[in-house]
Formats: sequence, C-alpha cells, structure tokens
Amino acid sequence: MNSVAVEMRDVSKVFGPVKALNQASLTIEYGTIHGVVGQNGAGKSTIIKVLAGIYRHDEGSIFVEGKELKSITPKIIEKCGIHFIHQDRLLVSTATVAEAIFLRNEPTFGPFINHRKMNAQATELLQRYFDLELDPTTLITDLSTAQQKIVQITRSLSQNAKVLVLDEPTAALVTKEVESLFTVLRRLKEEGIAIVFISHYMSEIESICDTVTVLRNGENVGQVSPKEVGIEKIVTMMTNRDTSEMYPRRNVEVGAPVLEVDNLSLASHFDSVSFQVGAGEVVGLAGLLGSGDKEVLQSLFGLLPPDSGTVSIDGTSHKFRSPVNAVENGIAMIPEDRRAHGVAVNLSIAENITLASVDKISKRGFVNRQEEIESVDALIEELGVKTPSGDMLVRNLSGGNQQKVVVAKWLSCDSRVYLLDEPTVAVDVGSKIEIYGLINRLAAEGKGIVFVSSDFEELAEMCDRVLVIYKGEIIGEYEGSSINSEQLLAAASGKKITINRSAV
Amino acid sequence: MTVNNKTLTPKMSLESMSHKAVYVAFIGVFILFSMTAEGFLNFDNFSNLIANKVVLLAIVALGMTIVIAAGGIDLSVGVSIDLASMAFIMMIGAGHNGVFAVIVAILVAACVGLTNSLLINKLKIDPFLATLGVLFIGKSVQQLATSGGVPIYLTKSEFAAPFEAITRTSLFGIPTPFLVLVACVIAVYLALHRGKFGRYVSALGAQPGVAKYSGIRVPFQLTLVFVSCSVLCGISGVLLSSTVRSYVPLAGDAFLLDAIGATFIGTAISKERKPSVFGTILGVLFLAMLRNGLLLLGLNFFWQQVGIGLLVFIVLGLSFGLRKRAE
Repeated sequence: MNSVAVEMRDVSKVFGPVKALNQASLTIEYGTIHGVVGQNGAGKSTIIKVLAGIYRHDEGSIFVEGKELKSITPKIIEKCGIHFIHQDRLLVSTATVAEAIFLRNEPTFGPFINHRKMNAQATELLQRYFDLELDPTTLITDLSTAQQKIVQITRSLSQNAKVLVLDEPTAALVTKEVESLFTVLRRLKEEGIAIVFISHYMSEIESICDTVTVLRNGENVGQVSPKEVGIEKIVTMMTNRDTSEMYPRRNVEVGAPVLEVDNLSLASHFDSVSFQVGAGEVVGLAGLLGSGDKEVLQSLFGLLPPDSGTVSIDGTSHKFRSPVNAVENGIAMIPEDRRAHGVAVNLSIAENITLASVDKISKRGFVNRQEEIESVDALIEELGVKTPSGDMLVRNLSGGNQQKVVVAKWLSCDSRVYLLDEPTVAVDVGSKIEIYGLINRLAAEGKGIVFVSSDFEELAEMCDRVLVIYKGEIIGEYEGSSINSEQLLAAASGKKITINRSAV
Repeated sequence: MTVNNKTLTPKMSLESMSHKAVYVAFIGVFILFSMTAEGFLNFDNFSNLIANKVVLLAIVALGMTIVIAAGGIDLSVGVSIDLASMAFIMMIGAGHNGVFAVIVAILVAACVGLTNSLLINKLKIDPFLATLGVLFIGKSVQQLATSGGVPIYLTKSEFAAPFEAITRTSLFGIPTPFLVLVACVIAVYLALHRGKFGRYVSALGAQPGVAKYSGIRVPFQLTLVFVSCSVLCGISGVLLSSTVRSYVPLAGDAFLLDAIGATFIGTAISKERKPSVFGTILGVLFLAMLRNGLLLLGLNFFWQQVGIGLLVFIVLGLSFGLRKRAE
C-alpha cells in the first residue's frame, strides 16, 4: 500500500530578495497522514501553493506517482487527483449540501440539473465515507464549520481525490469537532488516500500524523515520525537556527510601570487579563491563532472596548472607547496590516508621519509647513528612513522603511505605550533586523512595549518577559534570557511539557 | 538634481507632459473656438458665461471636491441647492429680511449634509447609497411641497430689493456672485490645502483604516466634509434663486454630473490624481467653455453633449494614457 503519491524534489522559489523555498523536498505516500510544520515564513504555504499550481517553482521537480509533471496548473493537479481544502471555507453559503458537493459536476437530464439524482448521490457519498446522516438540501450556512469541512472533503472525494491537502483544517473548530474530523481523516487513510495535514497545533500533529516534514527558512530540516521522536524534538527542529546576528541586544534598565492592565475581560475573546509593562520593557504576548492575543491589543487601543477591567497609563486609569482616546492618552499601535491600517501608501511620508500629531504643528487650524518639514526631516534622519525627502510617496518605500514611517508617526506624538501587532510580518530579513533595532530604540527611550507575534523565536529573543495566552487566558509567564521559543510554542499550543522553564 | 538629469529626462518629460495635457487641451480648445465660433472671443460672452454658468457650478463643484477628496461622493448636491433655494424664496415671499432668509436657506442645506453624515456614520451606509437615498427623498419632498413641482415666482417689484442686493451690487464693478465664488475658492483652498482639515480629508480619501488607526475622529471629520459640501450647495442655491427670482423645483439636479465631472477632470492635473481646488476650477471652466463654444458653433443641444463627451475622453485619455506610458 505504501507507494509514493507525490514527490517534490529540491524545489526552490524566490520572491524578490526572499528565498521562500530553498531546495525543499516533500514525499507523500498513499495511506498515510503527512504533517507539514514550520514557523511563519518557513515555507509551508509556499510549498503547498507550488504543489497546487498557484506559484511556479524556480527550480526542482515534482513527480506524481513517479511521473514528472512538466507544467503545473491548478487544473492539471486536480486531474491528478490532488485536492486542496483551504483554510477559509470556499463553499457558496447559499448553496445546498448536494449543490456544493456537485458544483460544476452536476448530474444532468438534458440541459437541466437532475436534482433528485444529485441529492440521492450526495446522501450516499456522505454515508459511505463518513456514516453521516445529513439532509442534502440543507443550506451550507446552516452547517457547523466541521460539517462544512466534511462537505468540502466529500466534494473532493466525489471527484476521485487520491491526495487531500488540508491547510489548517482545525483553525476554526472546537475540540469536539476536531475529534470528529480526525475520525474522518483516519477512515480516509484506511481507504488508502494520502492526506497532507498542515497545522501549527503541535498536539494535533502528534495525535494524527504518521510522518512529519519540518520546514525552516524554506529548507526542509527533516522528515520524522512524531510518535518516535516526540513533539519536543520537532519543535526544536522548527525553531533552531543561528540567532546571534538576527537579534540586536539592548541594555535597558526597566523603570516604573507605564502600562497597567487589570482584569481586562471581553466576552468570547479573553478573560481576566492582567499584566504590567515598565518603562523600557518589552513584554511579549504569545498565543496561537484565535487565542485572544490580538484582541487584547485591540482592546488596549480602543478598537474592541472591553466589558470590564481597567487600563492605567502612568498611574492614571482610562476607559478607551475608541482609538481617539487611546491615542490622546499616549497609546500607539503598529498594526499587522500595514497597508490597510499603518500607512496610507498614496500619501507622502510627511503627511503620514504627522497624521496623528497635526495639532502640534498647527495654529488656528493651519498647518505650519516649515515646522512640519523640520520635524519630519529630523525623524527621517533619526530612524534612517531611506528616502531623498519627506515629500516622497510612502508607496515607493520598502516594507521595513514603511514600518519606520509608522513608528515615526507615533514618535512625533510622544506616545508612551507601543502596541506591536506582528511588526515583522511580510518583510525581508534585513528589514526585520532594522525593526528589531527600532524596538530597542523605543525601549531605550523609556517606552513601554507590548509585542504580539506568531514568530515565537522573535518573541523569545526580543522580549524581557513573555506572557503565554491560551484560549483567552494568560496561562504562563516566562522571564529573562531563559525564554526559548520551544517552551513558548509548547505552552501556547496548550501542551504541557516540562523543559526547565522559569515560570513565575 | 543635475546628476540625475540625464537618466530622468525621458521619463520626466512624458510625465510632465501628461500633467500638462489638460492645460494644453484647454488652451487648444480655447484657440479652436476663438477661430471657429463666432462671438466666442468676446468680453461680454465671457462675463456672461462666468456669471451664469461658471459661478454656480464652481461653488457646487468645490463642495464635491471636498467630498471626493475624502473618498466619498455626494449625489444629493441638487437637493441641497433646491431646498436652500426653496427656503430662501419662501422666506422672501413671506416678507422676511433678506439676511435672515439667506441664513435659514444655508441652515436648511446644512441639514441635508447632516442627514447624509448621520446615515454614513451611524447606519454605516456607503456614501453613494446614503446620498442617493437622500436624493430620492429630497426630490419627493420638493414635489410634495410645491403641489407636484409648480415653481414659485417672485417677480413683483416689492420683492426685488434682496435679489438686487445679491446679484447687482458690485465692488469695483465686479458682481457679488463672483466675489462669493472667490471667497469660497479661498476658503476651500485654505481648508483643504493648508489646513489640518485637509490632512484628515486626504487620509480618509487615501486609506480610511489608517485614519482610524491614527486616532482621527473619523465620524466627526466625515460630518464636516458632508456638511461643508451641502453649505456650499446652499450658497449656490441662494445665488441661483436670486438670479432667476424664483424657485424652480429640481433645478439643482442639473449640477450633479457637471460637478462630479469637473472634479475628476481636475484630478488630471495632479500627479497623484487627487482632487484639488485648482483642478476643479479648471474643470468647471473647461466644461463651461465646451458648452458655450459648441453652442456658438450652432450645434444643437443633443450634439453638444456628444461633443463634450468626446472632448472629455480625448483630454483625460491623453493625460492618463501618457502617465501610464511614463510609469
């Protein structure tokens, strides 16, 4: 039974200066569940998109059942029986179960869809594969997320899928639904189907995968069996790399608390979150997708007003109902989606920098251009934004330099507390190092910094303290130089493992 | 600069040409009409053109410029014009003081803008649909108030004083409406291009999410945007009804498309295609000149529209096409 379904050999893919994949390989056998793990930016999604025919690889070769595929398009791949279940559900919500399963393959009677036959076939398929009694005329919107996943899988099976690729299939599922999905996957495995399972939940990888391919920085660092080597070893493989050059050191004495969060709660997002951030301190919030880490930041910035709890800045307590209050009281946000929330790319650097602090350079409603140019030039110089002048459009800057403009915006209005939401997402390594330098500079100026990132290595290296948040609660706190990304990842996955941690 | 000159020259010239295409077209059309259309190149024609066509449209288009710069659109400019005009004529007809009538008219117009901004801020309706709804309702309100659209004429001499005060009085021989336009141009220019307000407007127009995440009072700024547009329309409505000494229901509708057109023609002069006061005024002049010239050439009304459409395509196609090449 264990014959090779798909083999990707020495695949490389370059995006501009970034090597997303560097001679990565992936071998998938029939009748197995194969995990693909790696940190953000490790190349997980790139390798999957290459296989799906969405990206064209620059080097390497791809074999399906031993035959090399010369050209790869989504259509050819589907013909080979390789199907993808993407993270965001791609079912038409107003369709019925049967319509969703047979979309574009409807059984017909002349020019008409044979609804009776279609419904009967849908019922049969659902029963045969999943033992599932589901009325085929139910609307997709009325299904649970897990049921929708099953409908998607059924759709693939109805088209004779031999390889199923599931990208983060459990991200929106509750524990019970995960169990039922796993039962389905195990049953499909028994039928000889090859399943590729992409997840960052280590406990799930351990419980369902037969083999795991570990990617790191676009290279694969090994193919192992999680049952043999254990999850700790896999996590080490994912994170271990030479970090000495990436993360500049800082030497800042942490001062009095600038931000105090006490029992902050927001229904269905987070509960009783309390922590303090001192002047010059960088505090990380480590959580997986949906853990509530981002929502905490958004509450602190007034975007999601909390139900209860208090937030104090420099000892004065505040209730932030909107970003307007938050900004006025010295809170700054470096948002994750830079182009939507961070910088207006079609405005000039100067206009972006002074956007939150126009009051300071205005008199009776008029902007003092001279004063603006002086302060903008000073900030451009100080942060090293690479531009000939502040009148250039932000669009012309690199990601890292755009991020500097966001920081400059907050420096120009003397913000006390900086909320960083994935500040290094989608920038190249060089820019990352520059952004880390910026963080250190902010700390040196006595700002309080809250740092949310899904790159736990970055958190471990850059933070004085890291709080682990799981299902909306802070479940652990790690301090000092002993923080390492393995324990953060393990803790954030809800997996209790004991490596000599320095929990408080 | 001198160092880079050589490499930049071909690109720069194409790009600068694309900015200048509007001016070139403007001057070209002007020369064309001067040679072909009898009575075009004539002081009386121009002053008549400016007094009757340019001033009213320009003030409305300034309001539209603010809204479009903030990333919105106001389809209800006609309602603001008409309701202000209606209020003004009714107040004068009832024997009220002229200044008081003007104030009431402008306040009525401001209420239209306030309604728009409430719909946009509170009900989160897209500006296009919010102002479209107000346009429909505003039309009906006028028809209901005038028993199906019967104009109100105040041609009797007892009403003449306030109208004359607005239309005839002149400083150094310049008619008051023109002075009002100049005042509006200066005010909008200062607010949009020199003021804090303009910064918020362009942030909203460029990327509303960034404005929100920078702690800007987005709903308040949007209210200012829509109310100032309606107030400008109200001013135009008062001038309109003073000129014709009457209120003609739905007369303001005619301004909507020209105001939008002038604003977008005006974006062709800026590198970032941003609406600007100067560009809009140029757009208004361009449209007025085209209408006037084609009329004087003896083209009938229906062919005038075809002519205007074609000329707008040529000008904008030229300027944006060249820019694309340059990029």
